[in-house]
Amino acid sequence: MRNARWVVALALVVSMTVGMSGCGAQGTQGDSKTAEPIKLGAVLSLTGTYAALGTAEKQALELESARINKSGGIDGHPIELVIEDDATDEAKAVAAASKLIEQDEVVAILGATGTGQSMAIRGDVDRAQVPQISMAGGTAITQQFDANVFQTPWSNTIVVPFVLDAIKKSGVSQIALITDTGGYGKDGKPIIEASAAELGLKIVANETFNPGDTDMTAQLTKIRASGAKAVLLWTAGKEATTIMKNAQGLGMRDGATAVPFFGGSGQARLEFGEGSGDAAEGFTFGTGKSLVSTNWGPDSEEFKVVSDFAKRYEAAYGQAPDIFAGHAFDAFLIVVNALKAAGPDADGAAIRDAIEATNGLVGFAGTFTYSATDHNGLTTEDLSLYRFAGGMWEPAE
Amino acid sequence: MAELLQFVIAGLKSGSIYALVALGFTIVYAATGAINFAQGEFYMLGGMLGVWFVSLGLPVPVAALCAVVSAAAAGALFELAAVRPIAGGDPLRIIIVTIGGSVVLRQLALHLFGPDELTLASFTPGPSIRLFGAAIERQTLWIWALTLVAVVGLVILYRRTAFGKAMRATSLRRDAARLVGIDARAMVTASFALAAGLGALAGLAVTPLTQTAFDVGAGIGVKGFSAAILGGLGNPIAAVGGGLVLGLLESLAAGYLDPIYKDAISLIVLLAVLFLRPQGLLGGSGKEKV
Repeated sequence: MRNARWVVALALVVSMTVGMSGCGAQGTQGDSKTAEPIKLGAVLSLTGTYAALGTAEKQALELESARINKSGGIDGHPIELVIEDDATDEAKAVAAASKLIEQDEVVAILGATGTGQSMAIRGDVDRAQVPQISMAGGTAITQQFDANVFQTPWSNTIVVPFVLDAIKKSGVSQIALITDTGGYGKDGKPIIEASAAELGLKIVANETFNPGDTDMTAQLTKIRASGAKAVLLWTAGKEATTIMKNAQGLGMRDGATAVPFFGGSGQARLEFGEGSGDAAEGFTFGTGKSLVSTNWGPDSEEFKVVSDFAKRYEAAYGQAPDIFAGHAFDAFLIVVNALKAAGPDADGAAIRDAIEATNGLVGFAGTFTYSATDHNGLTTEDLSLYRFAGGMWEPAE
Repeated sequence: MAELLQFVIAGLKSGSIYALVALGFTIVYAATGAINFAQGEFYMLGGMLGVWFVSLGLPVPVAALCAVVSAAAAGALFELAAVRPIAGGDPLRIIIVTIGGSVVLRQLALHLFGPDELTLASFTPGPSIRLFGAAIERQTLWIWALTLVAVVGLVILYRRTAFGKAMRATSLRRDAARLVGIDARAMVTASFALAAGLGALAGLAVTPLTQTAFDVGAGIGVKGFSAAILGGLGNPIAAVGGGLVLGLLESLAAGYLDPIYKDAISLIVLLAVLFLRPQGLLGGSGKEKV
């Protein structure tokens, strides 16, 4: 059977190459009015691990660009949105970004959906001198400072201390940490470690898992044996549900051996609540106030912006926007705001300057004030604590 | 001690899933001499169809049966539409076709069921069963039971039924089988259906624990393939052994080493077996053992 051996070896090689590739999708949208359109590029994960996030972002971007164009665009110039799928793959994100820059000649890039993809395209962005507004929450995006790169979600540097503070206030001093080795968890881990040390919280178990893992019993068994009084879960992946189910299976969710679980923005997803069911009951997480728009108070400008967007989104797609749709809304709002200031003929560098001058712009995630040193623009004032009850979140306390 | 037991339980849980997927690889290999790289997609289809049938209001056992039968039908259709036209060809061509098929199935699932992960309720909800300080989820018992039923059923099918004997005969000597009146082409179709059904059963049984999505097939495909190679292609019982061993290795590695190496284990095992013992740990020298 020497033949079979070759077949198998070859098949293996082929399977790996196929596993790494995927399928591309792209869409363009815009309308051809008399005035020259302003081209905005978007690099989104419409397939792959972050498909759900990217799809919500695409819907938000299309909704908002259609609205702007209906009301006359930027000084009569319509906005033409060119969306590219990166299949949650860094190499594809780079290919998408260079296509947008070289073939479509866009003046700004919205994206990417994921932290890894957002970091991967900055080389092209820098070369072309166009601004990039990322919708990923990874801290590295704005911490490893790049003059051309901005960010719309609450970054780990503000969410992590906020959640750890809540854990400390609940009277716990020994915590276990479980993070994914993909973008979001890997990004959060060093910040959690540093921040926990500052707050005097001891990390007694520090576990990781890979994106796509289907069983985390081994890690949770070690956490259970560590004597941790709370578990901090830091991931944006769908594996969070498996972790909660495994934890429930191990008796860590109810009865005498129950341990409180905490998390961050990654758990602000309806699928997490639905999928985990009663395994996530009482799960506490910190993320933006806008998750429940009434947090802002009914007379605030934030409430108006968030609920207006939610109404339009629901009318168009029949479902409430999640935070990822919100981050895309913000990215678009920030660029449009800058375009209004810089004018429809502005080049990438001029738009970048206008974005950096953003001051007190109220969006979905909160109030954005960028500066020459802060390209995240949000503060802990924009955050709030939530708890899962009956598969859905509600404001904690 | 309780910790070790817990790791073993978790390993045997994943291992059973790998075993079912690996069985599918060996069945198609026996019939065609080719690797069916769409096998992982039928695992995905099992979970997705199960969720869909439940959402239609069917009770879980009926929905599960419908999901497995529909996935098996999809496997047969896939063979008829894509593999049969090149039947008798080089196994390499069949392999390429199945790779293409896997991409088509994945994209189809994305468009039909959407990009979000989907959930199925546990078959029998309730607290875990305690055993010497370790916990066994009820769904894990279901996974074990279904794997056992599938393996025993397969053995009976192969050893006791005329249909199974015809399948074995075809895989041993296709021309001779045709001379005695066996429809060899139908046997190939049947093997794809059977493999798809087993993959779907695995995907269905594990969905209450892990959820499912259109893109879960590729990862499990590599695991199942590694398990099949580990056991020795062409020997179903050995493939089951390969799956269980792989699951245990992964779980123990996650428990005692760094979980980051978990995925690497299956690839290391795969390469090691290919280099050192290409007939598999438990396999003989060929595919005669079907």
